[in-house]
Amino acid sequence: MTTTHPHTAAPARPSMPARIASRAGGGLLRLLLVLTGLLWLTPTVGLLLSSLRDRSDIAASGWWQVFVHPAQLTTSSYSTLFHNSKVTHSLLTTALITVPATVLVIVIGALAGYAFAWLDFPGRDGWFMVVVGLLVVPVQVALIPVAKLFNALGIFETTLGVVLFHTAFGLPFAVFLLRNFFAEIPRELLEAARLDGAGELRLFTRVVLPLGGPAIASLGIFQFLWVWNDMLVALIFADSGNPPITVALQQQVRQFGDNVDILASGAFLSMVIPLAVFFAFQRQFVSGVMAGAVK
Amino acid sequence: MASTTQGTRVTRTRKARGALGTRPWAAACFLLPALALLGALVVYPIGYSVYRSLFDASGHGFVGLGNYHEVFSDDRIRTALKNNVIWVVVAPTVATALGLIFAVLTERVRWGTAFKLVVFMPMAISMLAAGIIFRLVYEQNPDRGVANAVWVGIHDTFASPAPYPGARPRPNADLAASGGGAYTTRAAARAGTPVLLPLVAVKPEDVNGAHQAAPAKAVPGKVTGTVWMDFTRGGGGTPGRIDPGEKALAGLKVEAVKGGTAIASATTAADGTFTLPASADGARLRLPAANFASAYGGVDWLGPSLVTPSIIGAYIWMWAGFAMVLIAAGLAGVPRELLEAARVDGANEWQVFRRVTVPLLAPVLAVVVVTLMINVLKIFDLVYIIAPGSSLHDANVLALQLYQSSFGTDVNQGVGSAIAVFLLLLVLPVMYVNLRRIRREREQRR
Amino acid sequence: MRTAPLLALVTAAVLAAAGCSSSSKNDNSKDDGTSRSTVPHTLQLPKLTGQKLKVTAVWTGVEQQNFTKVLDEFHQRTGADVSFVPSGDDMASFVGSKIAGGDPPDVAMLQQPGVLREFAQKGWLKPLSAGTAAELNKNFAKGWQDLGSAQGKQYGVYFKASNKSLVWYNARIFAAAGAKEPGTWAEFLRTAQAVADYGVSPVSVGGADGWTLTDWFENVYLSQAGREKYDALTTHKIKWTDPSVKDALTTLGQLFGKKELLAGGNEGALQTQFPTSVTQVFADGDKAKAAMVYEGDFAAANVTAAKAAIGTDAKVFPFPAVGAEPPVVTGGDVGVALKDGQAAQALLTFLASPDAAAVWAHQGGFVSANKNLDLSVYPDDVQRSIAKALVGAGDNFRFDMSDQAPAAFGGKPGQGEWKDLQDFLKNPSDVAGIQQRLEDDAAKAFKS
Repeated sequence: MTTTHPHTAAPARPSMPARIASRAGGGLLRLLLVLTGLLWLTPTVGLLLSSLRDRSDIAASGWWQVFVHPAQLTTSSYSTLFHNSKVTHSLLTTALITVPATVLVIVIGALAGYAFAWLDFPGRDGWFMVVVGLLVVPVQVALIPVAKLFNALGIFETTLGVVLFHTAFGLPFAVFLLRNFFAEIPRELLEAARLDGAGELRLFTRVVLPLGGPAIASLGIFQFLWVWNDMLVALIFADSGNPPITVALQQQVRQFGDNVDILASGAFLSMVIPLAVFFAFQRQFVSGVMAGAVK
Repeated sequence: MASTTQGTRVTRTRKARGALGTRPWAAACFLLPALALLGALVVYPIGYSVYRSLFDASGHGFVGLGNYHEVFSDDRIRTALKNNVIWVVVAPTVATALGLIFAVLTERVRWGTAFKLVVFMPMAISMLAAGIIFRLVYEQNPDRGVANAVWVGIHDTFASPAPYPGARPRPNADLAASGGGAYTTRAAARAGTPVLLPLVAVKPEDVNGAHQAAPAKAVPGKVTGTVWMDFTRGGGGTPGRIDPGEKALAGLKVEAVKGGTAIASATTAADGTFTLPASADGARLRLPAANFASAYGGVDWLGPSLVTPSIIGAYIWMWAGFAMVLIAAGLAGVPRELLEAARVDGANEWQVFRRVTVPLLAPVLAVVVVTLMINVLKIFDLVYIIAPGSSLHDANVLALQLYQSSFGTDVNQGVGSAIAVFLLLLVLPVMYVNLRRIRREREQRR
Repeated sequence: MRTAPLLALVTAAVLAAAGCSSSSKNDNSKDDGTSRSTVPHTLQLPKLTGQKLKVTAVWTGVEQQNFTKVLDEFHQRTGADVSFVPSGDDMASFVGSKIAGGDPPDVAMLQQPGVLREFAQKGWLKPLSAGTAAELNKNFAKGWQDLGSAQGKQYGVYFKASNKSLVWYNARIFAAAGAKEPGTWAEFLRTAQAVADYGVSPVSVGGADGWTLTDWFENVYLSQAGREKYDALTTHKIKWTDPSVKDALTTLGQLFGKKELLAGGNEGALQTQFPTSVTQVFADGDKAKAAMVYEGDFAAANVTAAKAAIGTDAKVFPFPAVGAEPPVVTGGDVGVALKDGQAAQALLTFLASPDAAAVWAHQGGFVSANKNLDLSVYPDDVQRSIAKALVGAGDNFRFDMSDQAPAAFGGKPGQGEWKDLQDFLKNPSDVAGIQQRLEDDAAKAFKS
């Protein structure tokens, strides 16, 4: 039973020509990957460089001209952005929606996940299946009815409404992910805490939540990006006078050519935080993607 | 055997019920926030939509399944349906195929992680930002849009651009279109008699700095002539005559044609003159199409016929990384021994991939495809942002149509709700499969 | 490794955000200072300190900036906090979604009287208060007041008007090509041909925006078929399969059917949005891509954005006469109140006054039908003459036809007339087919 790595096993066997062929193939493979990587980067680089050019330059030529004329690089689009539109404020609005929606989903989802994993109540599995079934419900189904509901509650066009909407639609995934994670907690740990006289709430906050760290991190990243990047929900439910960044930019898309400077710099700005989160928490993001490959 | 199963089930049930000794009200407290939110904002809307979809635009007249009929008969909604089918078939398949290729190829490359990061990164950005990114990529003008710049670049390496795109003979001149964009004289050329070939509509930048056109000298035994831009700057000038200030068209190909075949050819000099050998005597002169072919403008990415594939391209850019990461994780779980055994048996890499790797990955591939399908059904932002007004109709998808049917003045929320219910029906099978999978997994774990 | 430059960028962006947002206020006040002197004070507005108002319009870019100046002036006079919300392309959907939630913007600037009528029918609009109506009556001709009313009630204030029967041209290219301002359609085609012979695309069409195409059609139709037919077609009393429509489309096909007359050919025109259609005529002086662009006076803003001087680099001639006399098609944006309240009415009163009109008129790209606006506020003679003609037109103008139709037909991207005329631009030989499609869409929209 040898589990030798293919590379170490290979040299003994193939003939000389085959090895050369394989090495050439390896070179080709690498080249192919590099080219594909560049292809994948190009659109983003294009946006970044476009955002660093003057509007008249963007209208006249492509962003790759900066490689020929580096003098074209300027931050004028960004200063226009900060001066003439409410973009900075809309970033704040985005944050004010995203952070509560993420925290709420974690808290409410963890409470329910714990209940589904460890508490006793009639029809537990059935309820859980219902919640999981809601994972695939498209948000579009809720647009009209929730608009009417929020109208009745007086929270239409408010940040609260958007937060609640995102929380509700994030919950099935949260409950699913956290229940499965909490279910793996060794029973002995919980029983020991119980014997020490811990109440339900104490058990939850002192034992379950800390142990759920990795899953909560994944969920948090996922929900954060989901809410930050949303446009449709905010387009309808957010305060249109003070919209999050996606809606603020969408409002400018009508005359794309005219507003291309604001759009390019604004789009890039809107990407900075999600990308930073993404790079900082790649591992949690990936495990969130794996766990939630149904959303 | 039977008794063991019986026994475990009994202990499990007893434990689950008794272990933590919880009271039902505690469970209710823990569940209440989640269930209240889900009930009000997810479950109630489903019920409402089903109910609302049975009523007309005003919300009072019961129309039964009339709105569903409208969904399948209205022209715009049918375009949306058709596009959704294209989306659901193409986008998940291509994204998964690319993801599979990337995952397999990067597996043995040391910097594979860096590559994965690059491909995975677009998942972190919003559809809106991706939309703006691809509006820039798909810009029609090859000077601005990178897709067309590359495309035109490739095109022009194989077919060099014409010197005078768009130019054509001066009307009433002795030059007639002779098919395929070429122009041929009606009269036969005579040696010793210079020919005048007046053209117009030459782009100013193409004759910028060109010489003054000169009349060709009569050379005995040779066919000579001048090709020039018969347009005096500022108007005026006599058509068909070389007026002062009229520019020569250098570098233009002139052919002598007899019986439909070119027997000689020449290229105009800096002053617009050309000289053909004696054999051209009695031939007609042709200016081949290659002189005038309009500059290749590239592909109309966001035009009506390509807009959906183009937007799908943007989607694949965003989501191929998702497929890649999931498949790579699945690949890590494939037992090395199996692959090695196949190699020892003399299978080449392709056969190993085809016969061993792919079948082993099948469950993962299925999950990826299904996830992407659900995701694609709800596509809205990308289409809304990328499609320009002139092809919005051709790029229509259900989620966008739902938005347009639901809000506005000519709306019919009955139809909007019907589309919503229809979308829900489309994802129901997936819901069912998911639930069965989860139940099975849990049973296995027990 | 990869994260390092990114983090640097984040830091830079955050620093920039923090540093720049504070300086934006200074800029605003500077701008107000310059326009202050030209703005008259003809009316008294209530103190509305602390009241919040939301105003929506389709405007973005330059228009948004200029309208924001008007709103700033209102803020200075009343103390009300006004926020401007661009509605995106689809005003009806945007307002509709907000009405569904019960919280629409206070004031909307609608582009179409057709939409105004629909909104009024649905009960979304609040009638003008007596004070606002009085201000309106004082400053506007009856024709404009009628366009802003529905079901016998006055709802709207035509704040911004436009003359949509103008052709803008690049004077330097015209000079180089020896072209002259045409007076008739035949001359127009000859001029276009001459410019094409010179080697520049003669006509730039912003076909990606369907409304530019409806404007083309309306000018040809009004001039060729006359006002009576125009009114009949506007209200769908005659069908789009009428021979007069066929004639107009055939006439338009003389231009649209020759791809050498269109900048970028037919396909290029379909991809060109309105702002680009203007800038490609005026950017780079005589090296511009095209020589003429048809659109209303509001194109002036885009001309200026292309760094061309109106009156010298950029000139204008009236839309050529197809029939007996040249057409005068007008358009405009009408302010309506979607919510009750003193502040909304005060804003509409302000918009009906010469004071508000002067703020934007001074910036350019704006024409007002306000009788009492001093013409000297316009920045150049071209716009002054357009405004003068508009105010003096009396009843000899017709309002944009598609704007009066139900939005489903005349006012939405990707459908109805917008879409059908884009199909016409794609395939100008299919006149009968387009007529049929126009009629089908119109029948559906007018029925509901």
